[in-house]
Amino acid sequence: MTGQTRQKRRITQGQAAFVLLLPFLATYALFLVYPFLRGIWISLHDWNLLAVAFNPDAKEFVGLRNYERVMWGRNIEWGAVASPLLQGIGAAGVALSVFLRRAGRVSKVTAIALGLASALLFVLPGFHPGEGGRWYDRRFWPTVGNTLVFVGWTVPGVTVAALLIAAALNRETRAMSVYRTLFFLSQILSVTVVTLIWQIMFSPRQGLIANVTEAFGGSPIVWLTDERFAMAAIVITTIWWSLGIAMILFLAGMQDISKDLYEAGALDNATGARAFWYITLPNLKRTITLVIVLQVILQFQVFGQAHLMTQGGPNDTTQVLVRYIYQTAFRDSELGRASAMAVFLFVIMGGFSILQFVLGREDDQ
Amino acid sequence: MNRSYKWLVMALAIPAFLWLVPTLWMVSLSFQPNEVLARTTSTTFFGLIPIPFTAENYAALFAFGQTPMWFLNSLIVAAGMTLGVLIVSTTAGYALARLEFPFKRAITILCLVGLMVPEQAVFIPLYTMFADLGWHNSYHALILPRMAVPIGVFLMLQFFKAIPKDIEEAARLDGVGWLQIFWYVMLPLARPAMMTLAILTFLYAWNDYLWPLVSAQRQEFFTITLGLASIQSNFAQSEGLGRVMASGVIASLPVVVMFLIFQRYVVQAMTVGGTKG
Repeated sequence: MTGQTRQKRRITQGQAAFVLLLPFLATYALFLVYPFLRGIWISLHDWNLLAVAFNPDAKEFVGLRNYERVMWGRNIEWGAVASPLLQGIGAAGVALSVFLRRAGRVSKVTAIALGLASALLFVLPGFHPGEGGRWYDRRFWPTVGNTLVFVGWTVPGVTVAALLIAAALNRETRAMSVYRTLFFLSQILSVTVVTLIWQIMFSPRQGLIANVTEAFGGSPIVWLTDERFAMAAIVITTIWWSLGIAMILFLAGMQDISKDLYEAGALDNATGARAFWYITLPNLKRTITLVIVLQVILQFQVFGQAHLMTQGGPNDTTQVLVRYIYQTAFRDSELGRASAMAVFLFVIMGGFSILQFVLGREDDQ
Repeated sequence: MNRSYKWLVMALAIPAFLWLVPTLWMVSLSFQPNEVLARTTSTTFFGLIPIPFTAENYAALFAFGQTPMWFLNSLIVAAGMTLGVLIVSTTAGYALARLEFPFKRAITILCLVGLMVPEQAVFIPLYTMFADLGWHNSYHALILPRMAVPIGVFLMLQFFKAIPKDIEEAARLDGVGWLQIFWYVMLPLARPAMMTLAILTFLYAWNDYLWPLVSAQRQEFFTITLGLASIQSNFAQSEGLGRVMASGVIASLPVVVMFLIFQRYVVQAMTVGGTKG
């Protein structure tokens, strides 16, 4: 026994750590770090998927030209009122974040995040092709715009719906736990099952929605192929699909609110909706911010819904960024340009991840 | 309880029912004959009750068609991925949480930075890499990329950190080696966290769409999620609505059953996955 022990003693802590870390570090380096760097490398090349597959030397180093081809154009100008609505909101947002911070209403991080986002909203839509100019890639910025519209409807939709449902279900009873299960159930389905269900739900001939509207004497909407409704259809589908996690996070946040607050509130006649407004909401600020950031990260990466339900149509109204990357890479074989867009996506996602991390840190303190 | 509570429970039945309707409809359609569905989908109560009833769609699904094969592929990929992720995450998580070694901080940060990289930012280079290696259309091509995602390491790291130090120190005094402590002391303690991670990984594997779409071009290697996507674009003409819906039910069955049995773990796993992955 002593001999065996002595033998095992020979493995030092450092060696043990090395052995235990090796499997993960190897896969991590091979299948995440290396591909990530290689993605940046590809984005600096004129790289045709098929040509390079047949002849590895068929790529050409072009520096940052892919980024230019995707995001820039000829004779691009900037104007402070090129897109009055968006830029106006952006300018107002900057002013608001400065004001809120001065007044001490929001934390520093929130103020910076709001300010930066607003500043981007003020600056970016200001770019437009001038006299005789045009974007090199006409579809890229509209695609980014569609993605933002999708995020802009889905995230508030999920957040508000989840918040209301969570508030109603915040009781430890049998009935409420059954309801929680029901509301969470759709979250675990795969994107292809979700789109399968909703594609047929929205069908003007066979769909449940059309059947119900017809029963009440209305005429059915051609949801998925009508420019006015296609995005709405995808948003509804997504809200139905991704409500569960937000609801659970809100319920967890509500558990942390002290019962005394509600009891004290009840003495002041604050029950039901008033309690929700004056006690629940203010104490849930952190969770609400967290849910919003998480949802933005999640929904910005939308792919399956647009790919399977509308194929990006009609007329590109539901074409979203990840689908455009996918198509540029695997239908047009333009790996260089697609990788440049993927890097763009990473930068935006990275920004939100850092925000999430910082918020999480604040949470711990 | 009081009256307002009863009212709340009754009022909530409406949104809860509406939320359930799409799923219910899929199940109900899958039990109706294709000939009827070709004419109308709203025979009984908008089609939400399967009358006329038939189980033929399911029989047909298993008699011919590729759904059973895709189902099996999904099981293999999900099981392989779960096992792989558990192995690399528990080992690395333990090392980072409990052992002292050079460059520990730097390695930890390097690992966690990977949480920021979305799948969509690496799927193109991964595709070219696997193509160069001739690995596409295989199980390992579907499994390996997920093993590199550090979410599991993060999860296990946090878990191991929370275990009191004295358990380990007692074992050390008895002369037990580090690897033995990991295997005999730590792993049994880590079972709940491993369970959460296993469910998170299994759900991810089962539901993942983008990477299988890119990597598996031959139908023999489709997962059920991918296979379902491939038949849904032309469902009405080729297979009949009832059968496609039956495929959808079959594709959801394992995760739904898992959810109903391990509800607490599943909710926890998805929340962790949603907040950190």
